[in-house]
Amino acid sequence: MDVIWQGLKEGFLLIIAMDPELVQITLLSIQVSVSALLLAAIMGIPLGTVLALKEFPGRKTLLNITYTFMGLPPVLAGLLVFLFLSTSGPFGYFQLMFTPTAMITAQVLLGFPIVCGLTARAVMAQPQEVFDTAATLGATRRQVSWAIIRESRMGIIAALTTALGRLIAEVGAVMMVGGNIKGETRVLTTSIVLETRMGNDSSALAIGMVLLLIAFLIMLLILSLEKRTFKDERRIQIV
Amino acid sequence: MNAEFKLFNISKRYGQREVLNIDNLEIGGGRIYCILGPNGAGKTTLFRIMSLLTLNDTGKLHVLGEEVTWQKNQVVRLRRKMAMVTQTSFMFEGSVYYNVAYGLRVRNTAAAEEKRIVNESLELLGMMDFINQPARNLSGGERQKVAIARALAVKPRVLFLDEPTSNVDPASALDIERYIQYINQEMGTTIIMVTHNLFQARRLSEEIFFMWEGKIIEKGECQNLFEQAQDKRTRSFLKGETVF
Repeated sequence: MDVIWQGLKEGFLLIIAMDPELVQITLLSIQVSVSALLLAAIMGIPLGTVLALKEFPGRKTLLNITYTFMGLPPVLAGLLVFLFLSTSGPFGYFQLMFTPTAMITAQVLLGFPIVCGLTARAVMAQPQEVFDTAATLGATRRQVSWAIIRESRMGIIAALTTALGRLIAEVGAVMMVGGNIKGETRVLTTSIVLETRMGNDSSALAIGMVLLLIAFLIMLLILSLEKRTFKDERRIQIV
Repeated sequence: MNAEFKLFNISKRYGQREVLNIDNLEIGGGRIYCILGPNGAGKTTLFRIMSLLTLNDTGKLHVLGEEVTWQKNQVVRLRRKMAMVTQTSFMFEGSVYYNVAYGLRVRNTAAAEEKRIVNESLELLGMMDFINQPARNLSGGERQKVAIARALAVKPRVLFLDEPTSNVDPASALDIERYIQYINQEMGTTIIMVTHNLFQARRLSEEIFFMWEGKIIEKGECQNLFEQAQDKRTRSFLKGETVF
């Protein structure tokens, strides 16, 4: 229990003191995970919508592959990115290994299937009436698709929060392709691993607290968007 | 007046089951037409094909003077001359205003014009008090009126009504019937409706098409059909004797 109390105390002091190293690590964590989430969203939301709405050969197979990749182990994602970006890999020329770009790439690999798969589910859950109503009111195909995405946004926001939860807490991939280099690629999760390995349990707990706080703040931001959007939405009343 | 809809040898199958098989059907314009028939007769499929929501398997379809080629631009252009109100009257998430304005927004109507038309449509249906309310919180009758206002806002040449009063109380149903007559008589909109309510069909429609197992088995002026139907299935249905 002492370790936990000590960790909580240290965490609180770290936050208050705004330790420069911690600030840098925190900002890099946010930069990596939020960039990865944005890229995953930019690719995953349209692709998930296409998979849900468009009939083409291999659609079901693609959907199954997407669902399978939702459970992609972070270390495997890291290994794949490592194989592509290492000096002997096809993109070795760009020398991206052990940079935040490599970490973002690995996290996109983890976040994209989640955003894509859950977006597809959310869009597929919409009733035929969304299409019928938009189409009979004169919407073009693009406008109809947008109407369907708009109606699915509660599910899409859930996809984004789920992906963010996975990305911000992920350690295996960023460790493998980032290398946990102090001042360059060290993020909150890799710092926790490092402190734990060094026997500084309370410091590890303290950084964990910061990580949770950051996750909470970003989720709050996403959920505030949801709240604004759904302020008039009816909820199921269970009595 | 030229026929608004012409169907030649139109058929539709779902798997092995043929749900629609129309040899020849012409629907003129400017009147209130009613499609009647028991469940599973193919009314909804016919409705969906005419409103360009479902592709026909065979045959030729002419809508508003054009043969339908199902080319994207043509479909949107023709759909923009029609509107539909369904029995569930789906509402987009958002306010009543948003819902009524939707058809105008997809047509890039200017904001001031949009506001004027939305207000005008809601006023006509007596729904102005609900303009800022969340559309999904409305009652069945209120939703149906908003759905009609939404359809009217785009000034359709043809209005499809699929069981427009099946989910509303009798008072609202009468209100809606009055609006339907007003839209047809004062605005000159062709109305094609599906209903199970024989009294309503008799009150509103001028011409009736009776469907049975995917085919139009009888058609005629409303009064004539109710009083002198030739086919015994039609007679039985119109007398309310058939149990489906």
